Parts: sequence; structure tokens; C-alpha cells
Amino acid sequence: MGILDIRDLSISYDGKSVLSEFDLSVSKGEKILIKGRSGIGKSTIFRLIMGFGIQASGEILLAGIPIDADNIWDVRKKVAYVSQDTDITEGKVSELIDEVLSFKANRLNISKENVEAIMSDLSLSHRILNKEYTRLSGGEKQRIALVLALLSGKDVFLLDEVTAELDVTLKQKVVSMFFDNPQWTVLSISHDREWEEKATNIIDLSGKVN
Amino acid sequence: MESYDISLEGMFFSFFLLLIPILISYYMGLKLISPTIESALRMVLQLLFVGFFLTFVFDLNNALLNIAWVLVMIFVASHTVLKSAELRAGRLLPMLTFFMVVTNLTMLLYFNRFIIDLNNLFDARYFIPIGGMVLGNSLRANIIGMENFCNDIRRNENRYLFRLSMGAEKTEALAPYLRKSVGVALKPTLANMATIGIVFLPGMMTGQILAGASPLVAIEYQIAIMITIFVTTIVNVLLGLLVLMHRGFDEYGMFRKEMMRNS
Repeated sequence: MGILDIRDLSISYDGKSVLSEFDLSVSKGEKILIKGRSGIGKSTIFRLIMGFGIQASGEILLAGIPIDADNIWDVRKKVAYVSQDTDITEGKVSELIDEVLSFKANRLNISKENVEAIMSDLSLSHRILNKEYTRLSGGEKQRIALVLALLSGKDVFLLDEVTAELDVTLKQKVVSMFFDNPQWTVLSISHDREWEEKATNIIDLSGKVN
Repeated sequence: MESYDISLEGMFFSFFLLLIPILISYYMGLKLISPTIESALRMVLQLLFVGFFLTFVFDLNNALLNIAWVLVMIFVASHTVLKSAELRAGRLLPMLTFFMVVTNLTMLLYFNRFIIDLNNLFDARYFIPIGGMVLGNSLRANIIGMENFCNDIRRNENRYLFRLSMGAEKTEALAPYLRKSVGVALKPTLANMATIGIVFLPGMMTGQILAGASPLVAIEYQIAIMITIFVTTIVNVLLGLLVLMHRGFDEYGMFRKEMMRNS
């Protein structure tokens, strides 16, 4: 049994089956790349793990416990999910960071001193803190979302196309940050080869499993 | 000072004015002729009914009957809030009505007891019209608040999901939506308060002056009622949104889109 297990998962949209009897067992520390053509249900798997209102059959277990309505709030405190949609707030970047740090689940885990260190690792200047989030570039927005995920102190990450708008150097940097920590379990959806090169396991939902 | 009754001829001239919006609608193709006539007719019928009913209630001046009438007003108000905000009543109506009853009755009794110092707290002449004013004025804010909250959640769902992904509890993740909706809902009431007396003379004050009261007494009442309306509005809006936050999301914390009429 892995840290994350997906059993017999079937997803259909509007009566049309897109994913059928999908199984996956992820061990602690594993780095998995999920790929496949658009609309095949890659992002849906992440949304299901987070309990974000998708109809599906099958079972998903975190550390051996089936995810359901009773424990979904604990799951969200243990799993960091960064979606490809970067429209996450309005207002200043510093306000967003302060807000996330103020959540009860994060108060003990996150130190504010780490913010600038992680920002620097992702080539973000501290001046960005005073900027309006909506005025940032796509790449800057992605990196802010990643900073918050990295700050959370969680060790299971679901990353959905988080490097799509970054240049090659930054893509490599982000992949290394997530993949070089042996304690972290990472599932990434991406079309970028930087993830493919370092992944320990590649799941191709189009039918091929490497 | 005496007040003048409006004669039948006067009422005729009043209705004569309605020709203006009807003609505007006709020439501009606004399709507002039927709604205007229908709304005017409804207004007349409802006010006729209320006029006769209130005459009866005022003559009787029975505390239980007065309370019952205010409860009916609150029930209709909470139903109207949900309907106007395009929300289905089923999951929300009982709890919303309960909170509105508690808030409005408490404020009403506070007003009667501490502000105008009535001997009979349930005196129909005060209890019913002041209850109606407070309720009617907070109604629009409640509708705006609920509508804004639901539309914002639907339009910017990703922002909410992002906060859940960052470990937020439901109330923490919804806090930005709550703050924004309360702010938007209170804007008209705040603007009313800031411009009162200069931009417009409110109905209650005008009514008292027309009925022969001194403008100074009318002003005292108006200040007191505006404060009461503002406080009731903010509490009503907040409680209405809390009802939405409690009943409008499933056990996974997902917004129940089926709760909206246009879902």
C-alpha cells in the first residue's frame, strides 16, 4: 500500500466515459509524471483527490484511508494542490501570502521568514510583494502559487501544468526543487520535458504506462 | 398644523402621472407597459388591503396580533430575499426566517423600549410601521449581499478552491467572499445615510411633517430610525450570508449550484 492509492477509478463527462478502471499506487517519495491528451481526465484525478466535486466511481486512499466527506478537510491539510488556473486572488501579493499564512492549518507549519527565501529560489524579487497579483505575468503568478505550496510544509504535491509559462531555466529549477527532495511525493501533470527527464514513473493516460 | 387628505380627484391626478412612463415605454419600445400597469395595480390592491387591515389592527391593538403580523412580514421578506437573489427557498428559508425574526424583533423591541421609551412595546402604531420600515430597508441589502456572494463564488470558484488547497477551512476560504459581499450590500445604505436631508428627504420624515409633526421631532425619529435600519441591515446581511455559507455548501465544502434558480 502506497501513500496514495487510486483503485478502479472511472470518470465520465455527460455520459461519455473518459477514464475507465484506472489504478495507481504511489509510494512515499515517488515522483510521477501524468501525461495524456487534453480532456482525458488528468486534472480531474487531482480534483477528485482534493474532493472538488467531481462525479466518479472507484476509490482513492491517502495513507491507506479512503478519502471521503469525513476526512477530506484533513486530506487538504496534508496534500498541496497547485492548479493550472492562476486566477487565485485580487489585491496585493503580500496580502495573499498573509492570508494563506493566517489559516489555522498553516499557523504552526509556516514561518514567514521562509517566504523570501523560497521566493528567491524561484527568482522572484521581494518587490513583487507590493504588486497587484492580477497585474503579474502568467509565469510570476505560477511561481507565487508554487511559493505558497512550498511554504505549506506538506509532503504530497499535486502539480497541474505549473511550469507551462516559465522559461527553460526556471522550469529546470522548479522540477529540481520538487524532485530533489526524497521525502516529498510529487504527482505532476505536464507537457514539459523537464519533468519527463527526472520523473521516476510516467503514467500516460492515453493508454501507455511506462 | 393640520394634514390634508387626498381627494379622489387628487388620486386621479396621481394616477394620471403614470401616463408618462407608459408613453415613454410605448415610444421607446421598452416593453414596460404591462409591467407598469400590473405593478401599479398590485400596489393599489396591496395598499388597500393593508390600509383596511391596519385600521382593524390599530383599533384592536392586540399584542399577539401585532407580533403575528410582523412575523408574517418577516416571512414574506425572507422569501422575497431568496426569490430576488435567484435562490431556491428549500434549504435556506427556515434558517433565514429564524435569524431575521430574531434580529428584527430584537431591534424593534430595543427601539421601542430604549429609544422612544414606549409603555406598550407592542403598540401597533409603532411596532408595525417601524418594523416594516426597518425590514423593508434592509431587504435590498440582503438581496444584493446574497446575489453578490453566489455570483462571486460561481465566477471565481478557483479562488475558493485554491484556498481549500492551501489548507483553509470553509469559513477561512469563504472570508474574502463574505467581506466583499457585506461591503457591496451595505453601500446603498451607507450612501443613503450620508446624503440624507441634503439629496433627499426620507419617507418617514416627510410623512411626519405632512401629518403635522415639528420638523425637529421628525429629525429625531429619522436619525434614530436610520441608525436602527443600518444596524439591522448589517446584522441581517451578515446572518443571511452565514446561512448561505452553512446551508449552501455540501459536506466536501462545494457550493450547491443546484440551489440557484438559474443553475
